Amino acid sequence: MSFATRTWGGMSSRARLLAIFIPVAIAAAVVTVGALVLLGPPFLDFLGANMPLVRFVVAAVAILLLTVPTAFVLIYLELKVIARMNLRVGPNRIGPWGAAMSVIHGLKVLSKEDFAPTGTDVTVFTLAPVVTYMASVMSLLVIPFAPGLFGQDFNIGLLFFFSMGGLTVVGLLMAGWSSFNKYSLLGGLRSAAQIISYEIPLTLSVVGVIILAGSMSMNRIVLAQSGSALDWFVFKQPLAALIFFIAATAEANRTPFDMTEADSEIVAGFATEYSGMRFGFFFFAEYVNVFIVSALIATIFFGGWTAPFNWPWAYNLNWFHPLSIGILGWVLIVANVVLIGTVLFAIAARLLGGREWGLWDAIGLGFLFLLVVVAGLVGTAGFIAFDWVAGLVWFMAKTYFFVITFVWMRATLPRVRVDQLMGFAWKWLLPASLLNLFVTAAAVIVTTPGGAR
Amino acid sequence: MPAPQRPPRPHKARPAASAASASAAAPASKGAKRTRRPAERQPSLDDPRIMLDRQISSDLYEPIPPYPTRTEREAEFYTLGDGEMFLNVGPHHPATHGVLRLVLKLSGEQIVDVDPVLGYLHRGVEKICENSDYYHVIDQVDPLEYLSSLFQEWPAVLSFEKLMDVQVPRRAEYIRVLSGELLRISSHTLYMGFLALDLGGLTPILYGFIERDEIVEMLAALTGARMLFNYFRIGGVNGDLNHEFMSRLGDWMSRAARQTEANAGLLNENEIFVRRMRGVGTLDRAAALSYGVTGGNLRASGVPFDVRRAHPYSVYPELEFNVPTRQEGDSLARYLIRVDEIRESLKIIDQCLHNMPDGPVMAKLPRLLRPRPGRAWGAVEGPRGMLGVYAISDGSDQPFRFRIHDPSFVNLETVTALLPGHLLADTMAVVASLDPVMGGIDK
Amino acid sequence: MSFVPGLGIAKGMALTMRRFFEPKATIQYPETAPDIAVRFRGRLQLLYDELGNLKCETCFQCAAACPVECIDMGGFDTKGRFHVHWGAAEQYAERREESALRRAGRPVPDPAYSRFDPIDTSAVDGILERYDFDQKEMLAILESIQRTYGYIPVAAVKRVSQVSGAPYALIYGRATYYSHLRFEKPRHTVAVCRCTACLMAGASRIARSMGGALGTEIGRPPAGGVALEQLPAHIPGAASPLVTLDGTPQPRLTAAAAAALGRTLAGGPVA
Repeated sequence: MSFATRTWGGMSSRARLLAIFIPVAIAAAVVTVGALVLLGPPFLDFLGANMPLVRFVVAAVAILLLTVPTAFVLIYLELKVIARMNLRVGPNRIGPWGAAMSVIHGLKVLSKEDFAPTGTDVTVFTLAPVVTYMASVMSLLVIPFAPGLFGQDFNIGLLFFFSMGGLTVVGLLMAGWSSFNKYSLLGGLRSAAQIISYEIPLTLSVVGVIILAGSMSMNRIVLAQSGSALDWFVFKQPLAALIFFIAATAEANRTPFDMTEADSEIVAGFATEYSGMRFGFFFFAEYVNVFIVSALIATIFFGGWTAPFNWPWAYNLNWFHPLSIGILGWVLIVANVVLIGTVLFAIAARLLGGREWGLWDAIGLGFLFLLVVVAGLVGTAGFIAFDWVAGLVWFMAKTYFFVITFVWMRATLPRVRVDQLMGFAWKWLLPASLLNLFVTAAAVIVTTPGGAR
Repeated sequence: MPAPQRPPRPHKARPAASAASASAAAPASKGAKRTRRPAERQPSLDDPRIMLDRQISSDLYEPIPPYPTRTEREAEFYTLGDGEMFLNVGPHHPATHGVLRLVLKLSGEQIVDVDPVLGYLHRGVEKICENSDYYHVIDQVDPLEYLSSLFQEWPAVLSFEKLMDVQVPRRAEYIRVLSGELLRISSHTLYMGFLALDLGGLTPILYGFIERDEIVEMLAALTGARMLFNYFRIGGVNGDLNHEFMSRLGDWMSRAARQTEANAGLLNENEIFVRRMRGVGTLDRAAALSYGVTGGNLRASGVPFDVRRAHPYSVYPELEFNVPTRQEGDSLARYLIRVDEIRESLKIIDQCLHNMPDGPVMAKLPRLLRPRPGRAWGAVEGPRGMLGVYAISDGSDQPFRFRIHDPSFVNLETVTALLPGHLLADTMAVVASLDPVMGGIDK
Repeated sequence: MSFVPGLGIAKGMALTMRRFFEPKATIQYPETAPDIAVRFRGRLQLLYDELGNLKCETCFQCAAACPVECIDMGGFDTKGRFHVHWGAAEQYAERREESALRRAGRPVPDPAYSRFDPIDTSAVDGILERYDFDQKEMLAILESIQRTYGYIPVAAVKRVSQVSGAPYALIYGRATYYSHLRFEKPRHTVAVCRCTACLMAGASRIARSMGGALGTEIGRPPAGGVALEQLPAHIPGAASPLVTLDGTPQPRLTAAAAAALGRTLAGGPVA
């Protein structure tokens, strides 16, 4: 046996891991630093010259990356909130308070067998989840998360969003039709009928808002609500808000309108024959839809990223310019803060927790504490200093408020029957939204001095 | 016993045909499609591995009788009209209350006809009971309607007591009534939960299970088991009330009325729920009587028939309770009747606790039970209807015939009359409102 | 009625929101032990006496009494320790494959029983034929087996189980219930005839003194490797009182001589 084999055999698994990891990390660091130093400046110049392209790429990548963690968070939220309303606890074993449940679900879904059942139309079968998912993802492009933080500011942003919503129908129909299964067919047809019926009240109810804001661009709509909470459109268009809320629930296929995936009648509706990652796509698409619809309600009626009242203090942390310290300075600061902070918190954990905390446990706990504290501090500083951080926080708060409302409705309400669903849309929501439209238009004409625009 | 030797199969070698079938079976070229149509998957008739019926019957055995002719009903059902399709709400389904297969003939979403197929849970209980001692019968008959096990043991025990002329002590009767009514509440609460689950509401069933858990823990303190109690004996019950049971019961009773009202209130006034159930699956009085429906389903159609009042048994004549009746006969009425029955059961439990007499809980019986030859019928009012047992004894220590009349079996038959004309989504509402338990239906 | 999401839905949602904040009904199982009733019979456990010894002796009576035939057990014979399984023999015990296949009537090799002497089981088949494979005649079948072999070999019990379809546990339980059935081949078998003639000649005294010397009685388990039995029938032509040792009739015995013979057989010194 050579020296290498003997040494390798003699090492514990932890040592082996470190023996692989450390050289690889060093090599990667050297390569990265070298690339940055050598290729950095020309690359940055290139980017600076093609800003719109860069912006587009960054926006698209960010949105694609945003959807999966959002879906994970929403899945976890739904499991826990519905469980709490059912007087039970929900997942609490995997990860702290069950937070890693979504990740495990994602891994499980990835590890399943990927097959298309006999008799299905394989091309359509494979493309259907992609279409549904992409339609949901593209709707995220127009939503303004914060002042200046949006994908693209179309001046027909709202119309773009509704057209993307219509695209999900195509995906669901493809899924229902291509599975060689009557349940899927029924589910797909039901979904098509439902979404198409509810598109009309959805679109019509928003026209009042468009009239009031003067533009279809989402950014302008949010800016038209800036000021205080009383400027929000929910107070000016309460009926429209209600109609939009109900129609949006139907668009997102949520209970009480989840006939398409009624899992006590048509097993899983259009998704009966799907398994593995294809089903994962549908699953993610549904939760991303919930997020989008809540975001939309928050944006159109509840002010988007505007705060409910004027934030009293808006510090300008101009005296602190981050780049003035330089890279070496930052490295030193980070290293010191991490080490010293971890050690301090570890000591605190060890003292407070008694002898039960072992050395490594205490260090790990200290590190976590440090992360929480630093994140809190940085977040607060950002909230105060940068308006986009504040806007993002408000936006997310409002969106998640509506997400929880949707989850609450799912926990409580039974399903509406298909014909009652359609009857409700055509007989009640459509006339109501038309009424709302007429009243708004009349009010605008009457109150605008000098007649209508 | 070694298997009988079979003569070797006549093997006709057809090289040309086998080459053709071999090439048809394997994909001919790389570019052949991956999905194989069903027609390609059937081997050709020249394949020597296939023995045709005429070869078997002529060479080896007697002629195989022809497949039984279709009944008229089958022929009528299995012919598709214009624009109709079959949908198999199969035994594997999240909402069929067990393994029930409903073959629906749909025209779009509207149900034209329904053919229920039963028997997926048949366990031969009646036959097993013919080969067991009288004590074993009580154990075997528990898992019939497993949600309310004591109500399965009760008519068996009633009929055996009639055969053996056994007088049950009064305390035992009161304990039977007490435990039975507790189980009735638990079964009805679960019924509400399952009904809501089939309609899409996820919460009421969890609330129902919380109630059921408390009741079942109580009964575990009394009987020793949580679900298949094996508690009633011929001549009494197996074990007196104990402190643990009484304390759990008192605990629960102090909250019971309020909790059941709250849980029912989640559904009673919910507009979506009411709209799904009102007018759906209306069973009128004459049809209910002609089908032989019993229990809550019959009372929801306007017939105030309750076995506890019509053919009294045990100590029910001494207890005061109402028999709730409604006239509409639709699914909502069936649901509301169950909610009313929970209240009545709470009243009965109160009276039992107040009037509980002292005394033994089991009559004196010989070790080996040999009743005189004869027949006896015992019936009780279970949560789903009239549960009856017709026992025939031939003087030996095993019953000669043990026939179980199960209410869910009869209740489920009405599905063929109730469903046509409604939508697919109403299937679940109707079937769930009839409260079938497949264990009892398939025995 | 107009379908306006109104009061009912709002009340329902208020109830759910209220329940969101109420204490939950979940019992966190491994950390919190559930509150199990004292009478709960689903908790299967073997009891220990005050010295710490297991009370269970794998006597198979519970297996024989169980109405659903769900108990099987292994003991010192097959496992070298007490080990009781609750469950169908098909699933749990060392008789797993055999129990699963016994209803098919096929003989199955069972490695756990390989150290039991294989015997010629054609006699067992004959006995079963005579009793028509009826489980209700199990006592008579077992007595016939004991008469044929001198004891009940485990291989014979397995053969009976396999051919008649009765579970091994039930047969074994029946066998251990009766004290005159034995599982070990005794070194010697002394049989006393108790027909009228022999009784008049003093067979009962002989039996009593023999039994006293050996430490057992007729119909009780053997002691010291010697079994004391009753002859089923008087051998024609033999003198009374008739006492056979391993099948050969002994010359006239008195009570004292019988006791001496008993002591010899038991291995003690002749008094």
